[in-house]
Amino acid sequence: MASQIHVNLSPAELAYLHASLSLTPPIRPDGRSPDQYRPLSAETGILPGTNGSARICFADGTEAIVGVKAEVEKTGRRWDDDTIFLEGGGDDEEGGDKEKGSTQQGGNKEWVELTVEIPGQRDDDSATVFLAQMLSEALLADGGFVERLKINRGWHWKLYLDILLISPPLSYPLPLLSLTTHLALLSTRLPRLKSEGDEDPFFDDDWAAAPYLYPRDKKARPPVTLLVMAVGNNIIFDPAKEELAVADVVLAVSVADVADRKGKGVEDEDMDVDGRKLKLLSIRTVDPPSRLTPPGVPNASNTAYGHASAGATQQKMPEARAVESEAVEGVWKAPRGGAKLAVMGALVQKVLQKGGVADEVLDALEAVDLS
Amino acid sequence: MPLDTSTYSLALLRVDGRRWNELRRLHAQIRTQAAADGSSYLEMGHTKVMCVVTGPSEPGPRRGGGIGGGAGGQSKDAEVVVNIVIAGFSSVDRKRRGRGDKRTQEMQSTVANALAASLHTHLFPHSQINVSLHVLSQDGSLLAALINAATLACVDAGIPMTDYVAACTAGSTSTYAANDESADPLLDLNHQEEQELPSLTVATLGDSDRVVVLVCESRVQISRLEGMLAVGVDGCKQVRELLDRVVREKGQRMILEGTVEKGTGLNDLD
Repeated sequence: MASQIHVNLSPAELAYLHASLSLTPPIRPDGRSPDQYRPLSAETGILPGTNGSARICFADGTEAIVGVKAEVEKTGRRWDDDTIFLEGGGDDEEGGDKEKGSTQQGGNKEWVELTVEIPGQRDDDSATVFLAQMLSEALLADGGFVERLKINRGWHWKLYLDILLISPPLSYPLPLLSLTTHLALLSTRLPRLKSEGDEDPFFDDDWAAAPYLYPRDKKARPPVTLLVMAVGNNIIFDPAKEELAVADVVLAVSVADVADRKGKGVEDEDMDVDGRKLKLLSIRTVDPPSRLTPPGVPNASNTAYGHASAGATQQKMPEARAVESEAVEGVWKAPRGGAKLAVMGALVQKVLQKGGVADEVLDALEAVDLS
Repeated sequence: MPLDTSTYSLALLRVDGRRWNELRRLHAQIRTQAAADGSSYLEMGHTKVMCVVTGPSEPGPRRGGGIGGGAGGQSKDAEVVVNIVIAGFSSVDRKRRGRGDKRTQEMQSTVANALAASLHTHLFPHSQINVSLHVLSQDGSLLAALINAATLACVDAGIPMTDYVAACTAGSTSTYAANDESADPLLDLNHQEEQELPSLTVATLGDSDRVVVLVCESRVQISRLEGMLAVGVDGCKQVRELLDRVVREKGQRMILEGTVEKGTGLNDLD
C-alpha cells in the first residue's frame, strides 16, 4: 500500500540522498543515527471525558491525539458453542472442545473498534483505511489484548479507539499514530468490577480505584508498530518523508511485550534482564514512493519528442533501449525488483534484538508520567 | 436527565452556578502546533477545540469533504476551506459522525462563510486557505467555540483580516412551550441548557455591533429574540477582549523570547 506523501525533489537530489543513505554509516538529512527516533514530547490523561487519552508531538511538528472510550456490551453466544458436539466423531469433538475453550478465554475481534482521522483526507480513503487496518491488526494479532476486555462469560468491554492526526500529514504518520495509541492504552483505566462470577456486571463508581487495562506492576505492554526502511544494506528507523522517497524497502513491524503471559514465557532463553520479552506480531510492507515511480520512457520512443510510432523506432534502433535503462551516476533511478531476503531478515532481527530500537521506544514510553 | 429550570427564579443562579450574564471560563492558546502555518487551542467551559490553518497556498486537488466559502479555484479571491472533525470520544456517549454528517457540514459552511467575509481574501488570488478544526470535547456552544478557534488560528497564520470574529451563544431561561413572557435571557449555554432551552449562536465583527453569523435552530417566541440577541452581542464583545488578550500575551512573549525581530517594541503591540 502506498504512502502517499509527495516530495518535490529532482532526480539529482534523490540520487544524492540515496547515495548518502547507502554509505556506511549512512548520513541522514537530519543528522540522526540510523536507529534513532525523532525526539518527541508526550503527555497522557489530557481528556477527562475518556477512559484513556494521549498526545504526542514529534520534533518535526506532527502531532496526534488518541482517545479511548469503553462501553459494556453483552457477549453474543456463538451459534457453534453448543451445537458442535451434536455432530461428528471423536476427532471433531476434540476440535470443538478446543474451540470452545478458546472462545471462553479469549475475546472477539469485534470488541475493538479503531478509527483514524486525517485532516483533508476522506475517512474511506484507501491510505487511511490501510493505516487503521495496520494499527488494529497489531492490537489483535496477539490474542492477549481482547482477553483483557472480558468481564465474565456474558459481558465484555467494547473499546473504541479514535485516532486524530492534528497536524497536516508531513511524513508517513504510522509511527506517530502507533506510539500515541500505545500511550493511550497504557493510560486506559476501566472501572473496578464489584460483582462476582457471571452476574450482571456492577462497577465501583470511584474512579480513583479503577485499575489500569495494562497494570503497571505487570510487564505486558500494548504493541507498537515501527516503521523501518532499507537503502542498499543499511537499515534506517523512523524515516522522514525525504528518506522514504528513496527507500528500497519499507516495512511496518509490530512488536509487543508479552513477558507475563502464561504458557508462552516459560522457555525463558531470550528473556532479558528486566524481563522484557518482545514478540513479533505482524509485518507489513509499505510501498515507498520510489516503487510508484514508473520507469522512464526513452526519448527515442517518446512520441512527445516527435517520434510518431514508438514501435518502429525501437525496431530500427535496438541499442536505444539499452542506453536509456543503464544507471547514470548522479541521476536517480527507481529501484526495480523485490527486496533481498537477507535485508528483510536483518530488518526484523534489528527490531527484535535486546537493547534495540523497540526496547528503547518501549522504555521511553514507559517513562511518560501517567496522570 | 431533564434540566430543572424552576430553581432559576429562586436564586437567579443557573445549573452550573453562573448568573445570567456570565461566560464560562474561556482559555485559549495560539501557536500550539509547530508544523502548521497557524494553530490554536480553545476551551469554553468543557468544550475543547483545536484549529490548524494551512495556507494561503496553491489549491491542491480537493480530496477531503471540506466545504468552501467565498470564491474559489481560479477566481481573484482566496477560497476558505473548512474541515471539521468531531472526535468520537468528544461527547459523553461515543457517537461516530461521518464526513457526510449534515450538522457538521452546516457548521463547516457557516464557519467558512464567516471567515471568508472577514479575511482579506482578495490579497491572495488563486489560492486556498485550509482550516481544519478538531473537536476534542463537547459541552454546548460548539459552533461559537469553532468560530473563535478559527479566528485565533487565522491571526496566528498572519492572514490579514478586518477584525476578530468573536462568537458566543445566548438563550432564554424558560422553554418555548412554557411561553413565559418574563423569561430572562442567558449568556453562553452549556450542553444541558442547550438541550432544553431556546438558544442562538451569534458572532460579531470585533467590538462593533455588526453581526456576521446568526444561527438559531430552536423555536422561540419573537418577543424574546431581541433580548437574546442583545445579550449575545454583548457576550461577543467580552469574548473579543479575551481573544485579544491571548494574542497580545503571545506577541509579548514572542518579543521577549526573541522570535520577533528587534525593531518592534513591546508598546507597539498595545
